[in-house]
Amino acid sequence: MIAGPGAFARVALVAVVAVILQLSGLGPHRIFGVQPDFVPLAVAAVAIYAGSVAGAAMGFGTGLLLDLVVGGTMGVSSLVLSAVGYAVGRYREVRDPAHGLMPIPVGALATLGWVVAFAAVSFMLDVGASVSPLVLRDMLLTIALNAVIALPAFALCRRVLRPALLVDPLDRRRRRQAPRETGPLGLRGLEI
Amino acid sequence: MFDSKVVRRRRAALAVFIGLSVVMLTAYFGESAGGVFHTLQRGAQEAFAPLETGTDRALKPFRDFFGWFGDTIDAKGENDKLQGEVEALRKRLAESETATRDVRQLRGLVKLARGDGFPQGTEPVAARVIAHSPTVWYSSVKIDKGSGDGVEEDQPVIAAGGLAGKVTRVTDGTSEVTLITDGSSAVSAQVMPDGANGVVKPELGKPEDLLLDFIQKGRRVTKGTTVVTSGFTASKVESRFPKGIPIGRVSRVDLDEVELYQRVHVEPFADLRRIDVVQVLTSKGRPPEEQAGVLAP
Repeated sequence: MIAGPGAFARVALVAVVAVILQLSGLGPHRIFGVQPDFVPLAVAAVAIYAGSVAGAAMGFGTGLLLDLVVGGTMGVSSLVLSAVGYAVGRYREVRDPAHGLMPIPVGALATLGWVVAFAAVSFMLDVGASVSPLVLRDMLLTIALNAVIALPAFALCRRVLRPALLVDPLDRRRRRQAPRETGPLGLRGLEI
Repeated sequence: MFDSKVVRRRRAALAVFIGLSVVMLTAYFGESAGGVFHTLQRGAQEAFAPLETGTDRALKPFRDFFGWFGDTIDAKGENDKLQGEVEALRKRLAESETATRDVRQLRGLVKLARGDGFPQGTEPVAARVIAHSPTVWYSSVKIDKGSGDGVEEDQPVIAAGGLAGKVTRVTDGTSEVTLITDGSSAVSAQVMPDGANGVVKPELGKPEDLLLDFIQKGRRVTKGTTVVTSGFTASKVESRFPKGIPIGRVSRVDLDEVELYQRVHVEPFADLRRIDVVQVLTSKGRPPEEQAGVLAP
């Protein structure tokens, strides 16, 4: 990612929109009893397109904003989301995924990491009430719902971030595809 | 793929972010309500309030559209349930009307003063919910009324005829309401009409099922009875909620031989998963001696 005020502004825009949508927009609406979670998807999208450092920074910033606006325990969300952003960014750097459906597993795994780690930290900070097993069901449904909405969410983030990206994984994938109409009639597919 | 300098820089960046988060976490727990991070939270909430209000209103049609599908699916089951409730309520109405007439006559006899508010001496301030907490681990909402509208910390909040929570943080134009489904919530309550006292606590992940704890085994609690705030005042702890706010209806009673207390399940009157409008029971014109104290949080 190109470092600069423009790139920073774009990442900040994604973070603010994700948090506001989560708290006041479509987030509070429940589908099949659970609500979609835009925040881990936004962090994962930035990490997958911009790398591990940008992902961790986005996770920290988004978590900080979330804790500030929600009024929850400061530091919990930023701790978990920094780790999620870094992990997704490292996956991109090591495995270099470029498949068109890549956002689905990445979005689902990022959401899994977010809900499980957040629950673990909440338990460590001493939850003052009994916990129903239905929490587990809610977690699984949130992960499934986020997997469904991951494609449009990643596409939207990519559109915002694209001018600031050094390398776009999807552009690279398109360049890798063999041109279908090159060469004379008998040599189609030989990439001449 | 990367040289050692890049790897070191990347790891250092992660370490800085994690370290900063842990420092914030530690400092937040250590400071008082007037500390730096709490003040920052209040400032951020005030700054974001107009944006949240705008987004909430702009996207309401979309939410209603998606909500229509779920509501239609739920409507049939709810219809059957409500028909049964109507039958039961008709019977209760007849009993209640008789009781009301008796009470009116008795009030006249003992010349009790009666306020106009609900509960007595409170003034409800209607507010719109502009933000919801995003996880099950915290259960709070933000409303568009603040100290400028007479809202103060610890005032009770009701929604759809039932207790929803209490105000825990106030800015000029917004307030944060901690719902009774939050892990830190505990409300002193009374089962009507026999008056068995207990504490209503949530079970995380089940907002439609509260637990009424500390009801002694000897007290008979039956399914369908109403649970209201008790508003008790003891020597050390007091309830911040005034007496008589409906909380919910008893849905199940677990009788465990080993436990000292009964575990009573209460279905709250307010649908705490989907609340758009609430009422804050402000204490305008309320005698100070009628304001009770607080039980955690």
